[in-house]
Amino acid sequence: MTSVLLVDDDAELSKLLEEYLQSEQLSLEAAHDGPSGLEKALSSRHAVVVLDVMLPGMSGLDVLKQLRQKSSVPVLMLTARGSELDRILGLELGADDYLPKPFNPRELVARLRAILRRTSGANAAAHPVHLADVELHPESRSVSCNGKPVSLTGAEFDLLYTFLRSPGKIISREDLTQAALGRPMSPMDRSIDVHVSNLRRKLGPYDSEQERIKAIRGSGYVYLLPGEQP
Amino acid sequence: MRFRSVFFKLFLCFWLMGAVITAALNLSVWLRTGAEPNPERNRGAFGEALNLYAESAVQVYDREGPQAFQQYMNRSMKEAGSELYLFDANGQNLTSQRTSEEAASVVSEIQATEQHVARVSALGRLTWGRPVVAPSGKTYFFVVRLRQPYVPRNLPPLGTAISILISGLIAYFLALYLTSPLKKLQSTVKAFAEGNLDVRVSPALGRRRDELADLGREFDHMAEQIAALIASQKRLLADISHELRSPLARLTVALELARRNSTDKATTALNRIEQESERLNKLVGQLLTLTRLESGAERVPPEMVVLEELVQQVVDDADFEAKPLNKKVKALELEHCRVRGSSELVRSAVENVIRNAIRYTSAGTAVEVYLRWRLDTAVLTVRDHGPGVPETELGHIFEPFYRVSEARERTSGGVGLGLSIAERTVKLHGGTIRAENTPGGFEVIIELPLAPLPAPVPQTLEKQPVF
Repeated sequence: MTSVLLVDDDAELSKLLEEYLQSEQLSLEAAHDGPSGLEKALSSRHAVVVLDVMLPGMSGLDVLKQLRQKSSVPVLMLTARGSELDRILGLELGADDYLPKPFNPRELVARLRAILRRTSGANAAAHPVHLADVELHPESRSVSCNGKPVSLTGAEFDLLYTFLRSPGKIISREDLTQAALGRPMSPMDRSIDVHVSNLRRKLGPYDSEQERIKAIRGSGYVYLLPGEQP
Repeated sequence: MRFRSVFFKLFLCFWLMGAVITAALNLSVWLRTGAEPNPERNRGAFGEALNLYAESAVQVYDREGPQAFQQYMNRSMKEAGSELYLFDANGQNLTSQRTSEEAASVVSEIQATEQHVARVSALGRLTWGRPVVAPSGKTYFFVVRLRQPYVPRNLPPLGTAISILISGLIAYFLALYLTSPLKKLQSTVKAFAEGNLDVRVSPALGRRRDELADLGREFDHMAEQIAALIASQKRLLADISHELRSPLARLTVALELARRNSTDKATTALNRIEQESERLNKLVGQLLTLTRLESGAERVPPEMVVLEELVQQVVDDADFEAKPLNKKVKALELEHCRVRGSSELVRSAVENVIRNAIRYTSAGTAVEVYLRWRLDTAVLTVRDHGPGVPETELGHIFEPFYRVSEARERTSGGVGLGLSIAERTVKLHGGTIRAENTPGGFEVIIELPLAPLPAPVPQTLEKQPVF
């Protein structure tokens, strides 16, 4: 059974979820506050961490920030509905996806499966990609830009990989969501835009100040080669 | 420097006051010394010299005759530039020189008083005279008119100018001292209004202890209370949100567990429970958003919002949502508009208005969205092809929970908060929102002030707001 860590202060909810996930072949371990959640998340015993932003003592965002300094375990964030800031901050801090709370457990399972599929090493045999100043190694999931290593989250890595496989082509936000987050895009879902803007920021523009990833209004995004115009 | 600023006014006032006082003082001293010279002066060294001068001149005349005196007089005039006069006891001029006005008046005064007389002209030139009894016993009146001002003093115009300059300097520092706390207070209030609730005036005032410092401390006190109020409001909202949603979250999970263990018979009821809990959840979210907008806890960040992109994204998403209802959402016109504010809040406002339009537009029709700019305003029009709203109720549709028609509202499943949220959000961004019936439909018009353009205008944008 795949092990999932849930960091949420609501013990009753944890119990209910544990029961629900059991039948989905997912074993749930719960932590009810930030420090103990962080400690358990760092133990590398879990395939994925579900992290509530609203935690007593130490905020979920702080937990995420500290977790990301040492570990790249996939994180699904639970945010309060309506607090877009938490969501964007969370994705920027390196969360792989988010789910507004209260959520439908079916949706939770779907998101967890998507994350697990992406991170289960499906690209192990793939060849490295080298495009202009960017080098991407699927087997080690590492990226370097201009010879300098760039630290990307799982979702950002998959997003870049998708871009590099079809540079110069417009890829719709739906396709990018499917490729990078492993799930279909839902309406009013902005996570892909946050991931793209993170990727843009981490890679920076080309030396000639040319934009690397361009938004095409109404269509999606395109990864440009140096000197190329969309 | 702003000419209407308190600093400038104070500075000008102080300076004008200083200048007028200095000028008046100088003028009065100057007039006084001109009109009645100090008689004490005759006793000093200068008086002594004048006395000697008078006696020696009279002796020359008395002993050596008019011709010798003339020589003496010429030499004295050549060397010192002074005019010498000698009169006999009857006031007859004994020299060849024409009697000047001052000399004549001095002589007549000597005759009257039989004492020495001094007079200073407006330019500070001294005319002095006295009766002298010669060794021969004859009485003469000796008068000398000096060329230079007899007292060494500043020329009044120069002195006045210097004093006015100094008073200007004093006025500058005085005005600066009085207005600098006002400046600090102003910048602090501005920062506070912009949402930085941690700013205080006191540290900038130092050890000042006057009314202005009191005002600063009063402001700090007020700021403290407002910050505390807003913080507690925010905390309360967060707590309510958490407390209301936790049971809902458990309910959703429990519901799914129940589904698994139930027979098909229960499915309808369970679906209903799910639908209602989802509705409750939405309502809680909207209510919290509305409260947050009205409480003042929400602040508009000075972000730049690219409105045409935002509207396009919302339209795309809404079109996707509307498809199953056999409805469409189309952006028919999207002009370049930049507004200042929170893109998340503006997005939710636009979303709520478009969702509302989807709800009411007839099946098979499209919701039309237009974004145009006019002078300094971005105008977003969302038009549906639905039944519209009775004219008398148009003004109320932005009120929370306002229902235009019971029956219609219930079937469409709305909770009546979307437009209220949109209205509060638009207001928060300094804009207006209104609704109108159009032939065969209904439209909501949002107007938002455009953000000032950054200096260089990108050439790719063919149409840009002009200010």
